[in-house]
Amino acid sequence: MIIRHADKIKSPQRIQQSFETLGYICSDAIATAVYLACQLQKPILIEGPPGVGKTELAKKTAEYLNAELIRMQCYEGLDEAKALYEWKYGKQLLYTQLLKDQLGDVMRGAKGLDESVSRLHQFGDIFYSEEFLETRPLLQALKSDEGAILLIDEIDKADQEFEAFLLEMLSEYQVSIPEIGTIKAKSKPIVMLTSNNTRELGDALKRRCLHLYIPFPDPHLEQKIISSQVPELKADLREQLVNFVAELRELSLKKTPAVSETIDWARALLLLNVEELDRDFVANTLNLLLKFQEDIEQVTPALHQLLSDSKSSLRRAKKS
Amino acid sequence: MQKPLGDFIYALREHGLPVSPAESLDAMQAVRLIGIEHPLQLRSALGMTLAKTQEHLILLETLFQQFFQLNDHTQLTSQIETADQTNLAETQESNEPQAQAQAQAQESQPSDVATDPQSNDSAGSAVASPLGQQLMDNEQAALSVAIAAAGAQSGAQTMQAVTQQSQVTYRIMRKLGNEALNQELLALSEDPEQNTRFIELKRRQQQLQQQTREYVEQQYLLFTLPKGKQLRTQNLQRVKLTNVDHHYQAQMGQLIQQAAKKLASLHSRRRKVSKRGLLDVRRTIAANAAFDGLLFHTKWKATRIERPKVLVLCDVSGSVSRVARFLLLFLHSLQDVLPKVRSFVFASDMGEVTELFERLTVEEALAEIMDRWANRPTDYGCALEDFKRLALNDIDPKTTVIMLGDARNNQSDGRSDIWQQVYQRSQRVLWLNPEGRFSWDSGDSIISEYAPYCSKVEPCNSLNDINRILNNLLKHG
Repeated sequence: MIIRHADKIKSPQRIQQSFETLGYICSDAIATAVYLACQLQKPILIEGPPGVGKTELAKKTAEYLNAELIRMQCYEGLDEAKALYEWKYGKQLLYTQLLKDQLGDVMRGAKGLDESVSRLHQFGDIFYSEEFLETRPLLQALKSDEGAILLIDEIDKADQEFEAFLLEMLSEYQVSIPEIGTIKAKSKPIVMLTSNNTRELGDALKRRCLHLYIPFPDPHLEQKIISSQVPELKADLREQLVNFVAELRELSLKKTPAVSETIDWARALLLLNVEELDRDFVANTLNLLLKFQEDIEQVTPALHQLLSDSKSSLRRAKKS
Repeated sequence: MQKPLGDFIYALREHGLPVSPAESLDAMQAVRLIGIEHPLQLRSALGMTLAKTQEHLILLETLFQQFFQLNDHTQLTSQIETADQTNLAETQESNEPQAQAQAQAQESQPSDVATDPQSNDSAGSAVASPLGQQLMDNEQAALSVAIAAAGAQSGAQTMQAVTQQSQVTYRIMRKLGNEALNQELLALSEDPEQNTRFIELKRRQQQLQQQTREYVEQQYLLFTLPKGKQLRTQNLQRVKLTNVDHHYQAQMGQLIQQAAKKLASLHSRRRKVSKRGLLDVRRTIAANAAFDGLLFHTKWKATRIERPKVLVLCDVSGSVSRVARFLLLFLHSLQDVLPKVRSFVFASDMGEVTELFERLTVEEALAEIMDRWANRPTDYGCALEDFKRLALNDIDPKTTVIMLGDARNNQSDGRSDIWQQVYQRSQRVLWLNPEGRFSWDSGDSIISEYAPYCSKVEPCNSLNDINRILNNLLKHG
């Protein structure tokens, strides 16, 4: 990675502050991780519940460093052809058809099979050269002149084989293509892998990465995030909302509401001109926060209690 | 910084974190970049490079706290510097004969640290022994360096048992020159004029003793305690299940779940590889007829994935209930890799508990099973009749039947004819007997009646046995 402004990654504090101006409020640990990844040229493996801003971190890093963001979404069955490279079969076919006449010229006058074949050999591997190579995200990241941010999203969804295939790329920043040879990175990309922990990742992969766990933010941090994302929302309401969501997270739900859901909800509050959280309003918009009917059914009867709890904690905070 | 970081990583390994040398190097580089001024930042940097799961991260954070005794910011810096000096002192000492080095180290230390003129009260000059002088000069940094150095030599990091703590403390005090100090104290106590100085020196000596004791205790917590835990884990895997003390059952449960997880990940991987079979030549040629016979699209034969169907019958009567508990626990954890496990329990009547396992947590399910079926006289005949009614028709040639029981039938009819039918219909019948081979067929045990209708009869009385048997089951499944 060529970083045009080396002072941008001078210290974790600097990164934290700059991210804040970009609208990404992050904890110390996150800033330290980005700092170390830039300085040590190591990939970061980001884990955490869905919706805490794992993918967003990569986007913001790219924006901050003015680098290209190359994103690869993983899924079951993802293989080299989709992740690394593929030959442009269509182009190869078309060219052979077009060059048929040319080939006839070349072959004219050749005596016997041996001579024809040896004449063909003189052309080398034209059809397996870089012109016929379809680059996929991983190769793109390696070939990027100034280094890129490579986001490998939801690596846990990919197969174990693919994970093993990534190892060479992550530690040496190079890949081997049988027909061409080894391709080394022009400039090492910053790699970020995200995982939702649907399966345990291999130790070899973990060893090569810095490991960053992003938990749900504490109420103070979450308020800061909301105020940067939805600045129009009143401070009182914001506090109440964050407290309410924090109460929800204490319950044993199928899917706990994440930061992104809190932000959505805050936007809804703003749109509907709500002054204060009341029971009816919350009951009507609960589907923005909770994504399973069972969860909604579990929370609805307890709404009154939850709301009064969040209000009392608000009052307590004000007193102190 | 190298020495304390190395020690810290050693402590992490002792607590079960698998830190590889490559990761240590990363940590070293990270620390060089981050510096040691901000303890929290340092902690997260170490967390990122050394701990790779959340569980390990939490462990690392507590250890970090313990190791660097992080109370305020300044302390960390001094702690690390202290340790660095210790390192220096140690290398110095290893070059020369020990006694000489000891003296030298003690002489050199006061000069290392700038003495604070205010604390250097007039009493200091009159004290003769080197340790006494240091005490009266109140050189905290130098003293903690000396304690750490003496501690390393006295084996503070290689203690085996908690009882060794006082011995190590004594050795450290001796190395520090406590004997000379004691003699001097004796001389002072006889002189009434020196009474105030005696009391002061005595107080400081006690303080030092306290400090040393705390150091040793901390070392014990960091280095020795986890060793005991490792030893216990190993032993628990070998020990007979019937002999596992109630106290260890929680830990045993954890071990079983770990083992099940390991087996599951091992075998789920194996299945995936076999998903794709050989090249199907005929279909490939047919599919590529459109391309002038050029083979663009390859067609593969799919391998049929065989998931073993497993029926487990578990005797929960008094004598085997403890082992049954563990086997049920293990099978419950294994349901990821074997989705078709049906569990039955019996003492006299038999009941299916598969649904119970799905509905309740492991602990609740086990409690309910023990409550409903256990504590009745064993009757294999009656139980097998129930089994015939419940599940005999579901047994097909892909089914494995596992029976866990001691075949002690209180002298009644064992109905081995039903067991024969089970054997004929199924792929395999395993009988796991918690008793050792020598007690088979003794007393009211009728294992030899069933044995002809089992593919295998094996004694099974430790976690290692369960592990091995289920491993085989999965391999051939």
